[in-house]
Amino acid sequence: MESCSPVQIDLTSRTSRPFGPLRGDAADAARSLIASARLAWAIEGNWAEPFFLLVYLIIRPLAFLGLFLAVLSIGGALNPASIGFVVVGQAVFQIVGAAMQGPTHALLDDRERYRTIRYIFATPSSLLPVSIGRALVKALIAAISAVIVIGVGALIGMPMRAGGPDLPLLLVVMALGLTSIVGLGIALGAVCVQLRNDAWGYPQAVAGSVFLLCGAIFPLDTLPRALQLIGAALPMTWWIEGVRRALLGTASPGLLGELSTPLLLLVLTVGTVLITLAAPRLFRIGIDRAREKGYLDRSTAS
Amino acid sequence: MSAAGVPKDLHARIYAETEWSLSHKLRHAAQSVVGRAYPRIFGMSREPSWLFFDLVFPTLGMCSFVFLLRSRGADEAWISATILASALLTFWTSVIWMMAGQFRWERDSGNMTLYITAPVGLGSIALGMAVGGAVGMAFRAGIIILGGSLLFGAQYEIREPLLLALTMLLGIAAMYALGVCLAAVFLVSGREADHLGDLLNEPMQLLGGLFAPVRSLGIFGLLAIGILPLAPAADAMRQLAVPQLAASGLLPVPVELGILAVMFVVFSLLSHFSLAFIERRGRADGKLLTRAD
Repeated sequence: MESCSPVQIDLTSRTSRPFGPLRGDAADAARSLIASARLAWAIEGNWAEPFFLLVYLIIRPLAFLGLFLAVLSIGGALNPASIGFVVVGQAVFQIVGAAMQGPTHALLDDRERYRTIRYIFATPSSLLPVSIGRALVKALIAAISAVIVIGVGALIGMPMRAGGPDLPLLLVVMALGLTSIVGLGIALGAVCVQLRNDAWGYPQAVAGSVFLLCGAIFPLDTLPRALQLIGAALPMTWWIEGVRRALLGTASPGLLGELSTPLLLLVLTVGTVLITLAAPRLFRIGIDRAREKGYLDRSTAS
Repeated sequence: MSAAGVPKDLHARIYAETEWSLSHKLRHAAQSVVGRAYPRIFGMSREPSWLFFDLVFPTLGMCSFVFLLRSRGADEAWISATILASALLTFWTSVIWMMAGQFRWERDSGNMTLYITAPVGLGSIALGMAVGGAVGMAFRAGIIILGGSLLFGAQYEIREPLLLALTMLLGIAAMYALGVCLAAVFLVSGREADHLGDLLNEPMQLLGGLFAPVRSLGIFGLLAIGILPLAPAADAMRQLAVPQLAASGLLPVPVELGILAVMFVVFSLLSHFSLAFIERRGRADGKLLTRAD
């Protein structure tokens, strides 16, 4: 007869904790990320026939753009610079909204809709790459909408940069911006799993507030001074400005436009590094707390 | 008592208990309407977070449009109109998620089966949802108009308050009647329903001329004003509450009131048939009204 010896687990040690959200080596994390990305694609991209999915991805962002351009035309005839400003801001914010809400929605979907979060905890998968993978696919789908919006913008007179987009700048700001937004998204997710009521609503409320503050559709200078400062502290503000410079070849009017591109990149890099350092720790603290308090079985949909 | 234990007068008793007089039917329907409206009106006092979210989304959108208008140096009258539009938007959002999406949500939470088995018509339940939703949203709309006016100094010049009240009433009634029709569509559409709700949001705000005049949409504006209650309601309210913008109206206010009245009647009739359809189909195949898991 085989004998079983009890496994000693030190639950008090933070470094050897076996059930935390950040376990496993890099290969495990990569596998979890890829698996969750495939799952996210099945959830987000498989609810309709490809044609209807494409129509959905086109109609909503274009309606949003049309709404802003219609309001913009109230103040006088539209000029190409204004069109470019709004088109790029609105297009990039599609990605911001999706990437920022993605991790929270993934956590809440798994906890309350599919009720699988407890099973993910019971597997060797780590919750952090699972959440990041889901967020990245949402961002990718939003990026399709963003490209469509920018394409339509170019058709209606958006002035593109002479000689085509500044691809190196675009790639750098996209990588930095996406990293910072996903970081903020996972920190937000860790907060939202603590909430007793309506956890689903908060990511949307945060995204709506960020939309107002980051100068996506109007220059930052239009906001009251206090809100300008908050807006300037958001990485999305610098990300959107960087994309505008890469695609349009011109800086935004007002405060942001006065900064040089290297300084803009420096600010975005510093912000991204700080968020990248802080976000996984906040995520671990939040998920550990949720597990210890029994919040991983909670339902907040009302 | 018969040999099988079935009362001899069973048929007569069932008939007596189910064949109500008209006054009994009306009283019962009214009670059902009040019963369904109650949680929508008083629920927010128990769940303050609902009130918070009902206010925060339209307010954030309103602020974005106001700052966009200010960045372009638009006439302040448009800021007053934007605040009014944000108030109207609370009703439209409620129509999408609390009317059109409600039966699907009730199905997923298991309540739909109870609605069908209870001695209450789906029409009474839908009317209760509409009345409760409209009253609850009127409170929120009032807060948005008050807050927006204080925040951005918006001013209104209402010369015909009764006509404005009638426009709001007809507009809201037509929107909620459309919401009942859409409830059947959402219920049948399965997991596409959430995306359908999204498609009824920003695209309809654009077509409905909520934040910019429907006149600027050309032929699409004319089409929208004929089928989407949001369009004539927003256009007429803007003309009545902000007279400086009367020239931006697509049609005269009395004509738009007539359109809203026709929409209300047509959508009410359609909603009657759509509710009968989902009840019949739900009872027949046993799947439409019960949760999937």
